[in-house]
Amino acid sequence: MVENKELIKVIEETVSRDDVKYVIGYKRGTYGFQIKPAFAYSAKDAKEFFYSPLCSKNLAVYPLLEEKLPLRRGEEAEHKKIGIVVKGCDSRAIIQIIQEKGLEREDVVLIGIPCKGVIDPKKIEKRFPKQSKFVEVEENSNDEYILEIDGTNHKIPKEELLSDVCKSCEYPNPQLYDILIGDTEEEFQPEQFSRVDELEGKTIEERWEYWEKHFQNCIRCYACREACPLCYCKTCMVDLLEPQWVRRSVNLSENTAWNVMRAFHLAGRCISCGECERVCPVNIPLMELNKFVEKEVKEMFDYTAGLDTEEKPFLGSFRPDDPEDFIS
Amino acid sequence: MSTQKKIEQEEFEPNIIGFLCNWCSYAGADLAGTSRIQYPPNVKIIKVMCSGRVNPMYIINAFQQGADGVLVSGCHPGDCHYTHGNYLARRRIATMKKLLEFLGIESDRVRMTWVSAAEGRKYADVVREVTDDIKKLGPMTKFRREKEW
Ligand code: SF4
Ligand code: SF4
Ligand code: SF4
Ligand code: FES
Repeated sequence: MVENKELIKVIEETVSRDDVKYVIGYKRGTYGFQIKPAFAYSAKDAKEFFYSPLCSKNLAVYPLLEEKLPLRRGEEAEHKKIGIVVKGCDSRAIIQIIQEKGLEREDVVLIGIPCKGVIDPKKIEKRFPKQSKFVEVEENSNDEYILEIDGTNHKIPKEELLSDVCKSCEYPNPQLYDILIGDTEEEFQPEQFSRVDELEGKTIEERWEYWEKHFQNCIRCYACREACPLCYCKTCMVDLLEPQWVRRSVNLSENTAWNVMRAFHLAGRCISCGECERVCPVNIPLMELNKFVEKEVKEMFDYTAGLDTEEKPFLGSFRPDDPEDFIS
Repeated sequence: MSTQKKIEQEEFEPNIIGFLCNWCSYAGADLAGTSRIQYPPNVKIIKVMCSGRVNPMYIINAFQQGADGVLVSGCHPGDCHYTHGNYLARRRIATMKKLLEFLGIESDRVRMTWVSAAEGRKYADVVREVTDDIKKLGPMTKFRREKEW
């Protein structure tokens, strides 16, 4: 478990460095199980930082939102680093972004946190709905979450609230970091992401029925895209008007096109943080698409995203002996 | 199969969009024509500079606009005019086909093939095969765009 005292100390030290502009981490939200991103510009801002199993958000989205204003004549671009608190999956997102040249390694200071898995906000919200105050959640050594609501203590088996992707997480430890807080988690045998296998076992008609039902519900809020650290295109294809790849009307046809596009653009890039699925307001099982593609990309091309900053991007590279049994 | 169904299937003339690269496959199709080889008229050809130019979203878009199948054809590996466009296309189409299958859309509706400028006969054969395949699968209406004004 990460000690908050230690975390705050590291944030203070990092933000006090001359070459660091600010540090991004988590702070407690105002109600329920919501957490917020925290930005420290000086050592005194570090006090509000914390880490708990509620910190599911992937902070790797923020460095890419940095606005780069045009420079005045003679003005030099400021080369200062951004500090970010990263879990295993978040660090892989950063690796993937560096690989794609969206960021330079020197642009960031990574404060790694070995992760024990995060709580799915939807699951805990369902269990304890409408909390008007922020609720602290801690994890004990018996694989239980402990929380206190209105003076009553609750102990809940971890299994019940853990985010689905975390059960099949292969890389809970940061894969790239400058500072590591706490001890690395032991390697554990991740479960298969069973929802994909289940779907694959169904007939083709059943599968379409399943997805049709879900895609019909999509309201095209693009929350999945906004929360995703790898959907950082300056102009997303779905927003383009000339040419217009996907129309703006919300109906099965366009929604399907959008969801296929999103899933396809993340082929060989998605690092399975699970944020897209956790933020989807209509509960479209987006991780089933992502995990399926991840599996196929691995099987067919022996490629895994977000492990090596020097690797070539999946869809921008090839091997002459890539499988081509489907071509005739 | 009931006679009714059989008749329906025979009457169904699939709409297939073919993306052919300028340097090999389009020339191959041209050769099929100039050699007066007979083949079904179902494939509507769109010429692209290279199979690597085929954004997999073209396929989705074709389905939205009423295509029942899509053919992507490029130069043989190693022969691409832009040296490796077809290798890139191969990865993309392979991944897209898998994704479609997972969503419940027959991946056979997307066909990829290599046709060189000298393979007019092969092009005709491919078109015949694709047309037959798609005829068997029937119309693709799963996420077709609704009629517009
Ligand atoms: S978050 Fe869900 S509803 Fe919103 S665009 Fe994405 S898939 Fe659709
Ligand atoms: S697609 Fe979803 S799981 Fe994958 S990186 Fe983006 S937010 Fe994370
Ligand atoms: S959906 Fe595609 S185009 Fe849009 S932001 Fe994501 S990766 Fe970029
Ligand atoms: S030019 Fe024919 S595939 Fe590239």
